[in-house]
Amino acid sequence: MNRLMKGAEPFFFPGSSTGCLLVHGFTASPQEMRFLGGSLAAEGYTSLGIRLAGHGMTLKDMHRARWPDWLASVEDGYHMLQGICSHIAVIGFSQGGVLSLRLCAEAKVDALVTISTPYTLPPDPRLKLLRPILKPLSTLVPFLPKGTGGWVDPSLATERVAYDAYPLRSIVELDLLLADMRSHLHQVTAPILSIHSHRDDFVPPEHMSMIQSAVDSVEKRMAWVDESYHLIVCDVDRFLVLQHILSFLKEQVPDGS
Amino acid sequence: MTIFPEGGEPFFFPGGRTGCLLIHGFTGAPNEMRLLGEHLAACGFSVLGIRLSGHGTDMTDLLRAREQDWVASVEDGYHLLRGCTDHIVVLGLSMGGVLALHAGACLPVDGVVAMSAPYRTPHPLIQHMRPALPLLSLFWRYAKKSDSDLVDEAARETHVDYEAHPLRAVAELEDLVREMQASLPDVRIPVLLIHSRGDTTVPSDHVGLITNALGSKDIETVWLQSSGHVITRDVEQDRVFKACERFIHRVLEKAS
Repeated sequence: MNRLMKGAEPFFFPGSSTGCLLVHGFTASPQEMRFLGGSLAAEGYTSLGIRLAGHGMTLKDMHRARWPDWLASVEDGYHMLQGICSHIAVIGFSQGGVLSLRLCAEAKVDALVTISTPYTLPPDPRLKLLRPILKPLSTLVPFLPKGTGGWVDPSLATERVAYDAYPLRSIVELDLLLADMRSHLHQVTAPILSIHSHRDDFVPPEHMSMIQSAVDSVEKRMAWVDESYHLIVCDVDRFLVLQHILSFLKEQVPDGS
Repeated sequence: MTIFPEGGEPFFFPGGRTGCLLIHGFTGAPNEMRLLGEHLAACGFSVLGIRLSGHGTDMTDLLRAREQDWVASVEDGYHLLRGCTDHIVVLGLSMGGVLALHAGACLPVDGVVAMSAPYRTPHPLIQHMRPALPLLSLFWRYAKKSDSDLVDEAARETHVDYEAHPLRAVAELEDLVREMQASLPDVRIPVLLIHSRGDTTVPSDHVGLITNALGSKDIETVWLQSSGHVITRDVEQDRVFKACERFIHRVLEKAS
């Protein structure tokens, strides 16, 4: 019996000696990064989109996962790419950006791209209130249904492969991961590009500069998009996001593609 | 690894359009498949040695792993390797062999090599105690491992694995083995079984049990005499490497 949701498979497109490691977000799947991965491969780059542990299976499987499992999934992808590429760029979306930052605090990479990446949990007052009791609460109410919305072009939502709820227990893990990331940001020295939407209603736009000022990189770039909400890698701004990444990669790894 | 301990890293060696997916065993790490992987890469194959979920990091991580995580890890590896190959052979050691046989029934692969693979969990007590294990494991987390039966002393020194069996994970191993048993009749591709008479973890008669249950007509068996259970790193490892290499070439001829 197969255990992965249809469409949630990780992907690998062989190409040049510069490899892009693509890390998807919380409760999503590699499908979220497929547009970027496929487009980067079309430009000549090698691209590998990992699946985070507990994702793309069932909600119960995610409920069981802990943040070091997610970090280990990212590190797996890094080591695989290392076997076939001499230059590595890590590209993470939302929680994937958090994990990418955490990886780059210890792993040598040529470029780092964080997209719609949070610095702390979203400033939802309900979340603030519930955070201290979230762990025990998650045994009673394991899953919180997601609302619809979040898309400028809802027709693009039909392709999405993701869970339709948030495991409460995993929100605790995300918070722990964020704390661990923040305490390691000063170790990040890789050239970094951050991309965020002015209209992001999930991760406040100011989180981008909070991350940028905490890292120790010499090369720091910020780029904005204006139309999409949080999901800028899949929604209408995805082409613009791709262009920002391509010009950053060309700058950091000349002859990379 | 970079953040996690050394020896737990998966490995990827680029090569031709034939891929070898390598799967390590229960409480083991990709390291135990690395030499075999290097040999197969030198033969011109693309090689991916995966890390099973909960392995190669910290023993406590294995407490929360479930058999579906391991099956999913294998599926991950399959899909990644598929991106650069036309043919895939899955090779696994011990529980990795169980997963390889299971993959042979569930994924479109061309051949399976199962090394030191069990047909059922070696200890009858585990089979009978299965329903009680999750509860029992709350009080008795880790079962002591018996001494390694690796004959090669240098390999024993550098072996990377957890020092005990998390009891909760043993329950998952039992479930996985049962799932494999049910899927064996659906394995219709060529299978190579390699086993050592000196294996003290999985007795030799498991080879016959697997053979009888397989749906495949093309089953080859290679017997080793002096190795222990971890045959990919023991005194007859070169025979193992050669047998795998020959088998993959044969499978390719058959497939083309």
